[in-house]
Amino acid sequence: MSEAYVSSPHPLFPHVHVRGQRVERAFRYACSAASLALLGATVGLCVMLVWGGWPSISTFGLGFFTSTVWNPVTDTYGGAGPIVGTLITSAVALALALPLAFCTAVFLVEFCPAILRRPIGIAVELLAGIPSIVYGMWGLFVFAPFFATYIEAPLMSWAPPGTVWERLFSGIPNGSGILTASIILAIMILPYIAATLRELFVSVPVRVREAAYGMGCTPLEVVWSVTLPFVRRSAVGAVMLGLGRALGETMAVTFVIGNSHRLPRGLFDSGATISSVIANEFAEATSPMHMSALLELGFALFLITFVVLALARALLGHGDAA
Amino acid sequence: MSNVAAMHLPEVRAPLAEMSALPEQFIDAVPQEQVKVAVRDLNFYYGTQQALSGVSMGIPNKTVTAIVGPSGCGKSTLLRVMNRMYSLYPGQRAEGEVLLDGQNILDRKVNLPWLRSRVGMVFQQSTPFPMSIFDNVAFGVRLYETLRKADLSVRVEESLRRAALWEEVKDKLDRPALGLSGGQQQRLCVARSMAVRPEVLLLDEPASALDPISTAKLEDTIVSLKREVAIVIVTHNLQQAARVSDRTAFMFLGRLVEYGTTERMFNNPRTTRAADYVTGRFG
Repeated sequence: MSEAYVSSPHPLFPHVHVRGQRVERAFRYACSAASLALLGATVGLCVMLVWGGWPSISTFGLGFFTSTVWNPVTDTYGGAGPIVGTLITSAVALALALPLAFCTAVFLVEFCPAILRRPIGIAVELLAGIPSIVYGMWGLFVFAPFFATYIEAPLMSWAPPGTVWERLFSGIPNGSGILTASIILAIMILPYIAATLRELFVSVPVRVREAAYGMGCTPLEVVWSVTLPFVRRSAVGAVMLGLGRALGETMAVTFVIGNSHRLPRGLFDSGATISSVIANEFAEATSPMHMSALLELGFALFLITFVVLALARALLGHGDAA
Repeated sequence: MSNVAAMHLPEVRAPLAEMSALPEQFIDAVPQEQVKVAVRDLNFYYGTQQALSGVSMGIPNKTVTAIVGPSGCGKSTLLRVMNRMYSLYPGQRAEGEVLLDGQNILDRKVNLPWLRSRVGMVFQQSTPFPMSIFDNVAFGVRLYETLRKADLSVRVEESLRRAALWEEVKDKLDRPALGLSGGQQQRLCVARSMAVRPEVLLLDEPASALDPISTAKLEDTIVSLKREVAIVIVTHNLQQAARVSDRTAFMFLGRLVEYGTTERMFNNPRTTRAADYVTGRFG
């Protein structure tokens, strides 16, 4: 189309189209450049992680992902502990946060009296805005002692020996560990998921909600069988965003997870996540191999995030109705 | 639009001079034994703004009742009172009585899902749910009844036939309903409402987004459905009201101005407002 303007400019205002076309072209280049830069950054990041992690990748091979030995003295590194820790804490955090976020969003859209809508909305936003290091300190100094005394110790003494509960609730009841980290993570990702789900529910056309109510649905039925299917794909996107944050969250987790490279044996056991290990050790990684192992861990986190996103997309082939 | 409509409608008998002497309100009573829904002294408020004042009318069973009037006259509001749709919104409230088979549905204690299963509604724009055609029709049935698979299929087919949609969709029941055309989607919504076997069907300008052929099909459907249910249709298309309805109510500024058989309303309106409206002098 732009070529057509060049070959036959307006007889009276030839400059109009030419100028417009220049701006259009510049705009198009700017848009392409911005998105290509993004793609370039992603690819570059990936390449640098592999490049930097190469000594470790070539030395330990696939064994890096199964070994839990992390010994800077002998320069032997295995990342299974932090990788498993990352997956467990994120999964547990999501399992805790998702129902709460869903209920919060539904409450705000379907049941909330007008007078409460703003305070709750602000609370959710504030929760999302608190820096993670504040969560970490609160987790370590306030939540962990409380958790140790009132949750961990009673649960451990309750768990019948020889059952799955005993295994689940094993560890040292000092308040820091996998479950504590998961709960802190859940609190952190809750507002993201809740706020996004709320936006999605609100975006469902009023007429569709009314039609569902008009069929005689109860609020739960409206949300579950009409609203949620309507925003299915975007809702999974919202959940993935929360999961992404949980996977990568560093400071809050570092404070409360206990920082041990072993495979966690129970929910109260101390552990580590990839990002907590990197945060803890990067400054002290003096040997090249130690640095390289940390970079390989970073690459593993990159892969995990990528796989999670790819899975989410594959699960939902079709677009939303909205 | 009303001007176009008027060209096809019979001349009004009353000359202009005479009409100024006509009454403000003229309502033909519906015989008590035919009344399905009785509206009594209904006032309705959106917050502080009053949208209906003192509306009283009887909706007869197994007939089509059209509600017409200019935009903002309260016709949709009246419809949304009949299935308590307004209850979704705090700040909207109704005073008076709306009796469904003698029971006041404005009562706080009325179970809304139960009411809405008896009083179905089809909206101006089609509202298929994001699921298959079959599941759309079965949607309401599954809420209230546990049918065996075969019985459910029978019910779905029967409902789609009643909405005159069966022949067009029988081979693609498992396809998403959102893939249907606008007219088909609207008849699907009629089928979905009819599948739960309601006693009253409310239609809120159901054809305003449809092309003439789809509109004709929908109107045929409406006329055939009145054998089973009481139908209330809000429309601003006078010709449509004349085509499908047995009784017509004319509303203006939140009041019921005239109500009677469609034939009389169009041939011999008794109030100035209604006469002006059906002849296209305003509205």
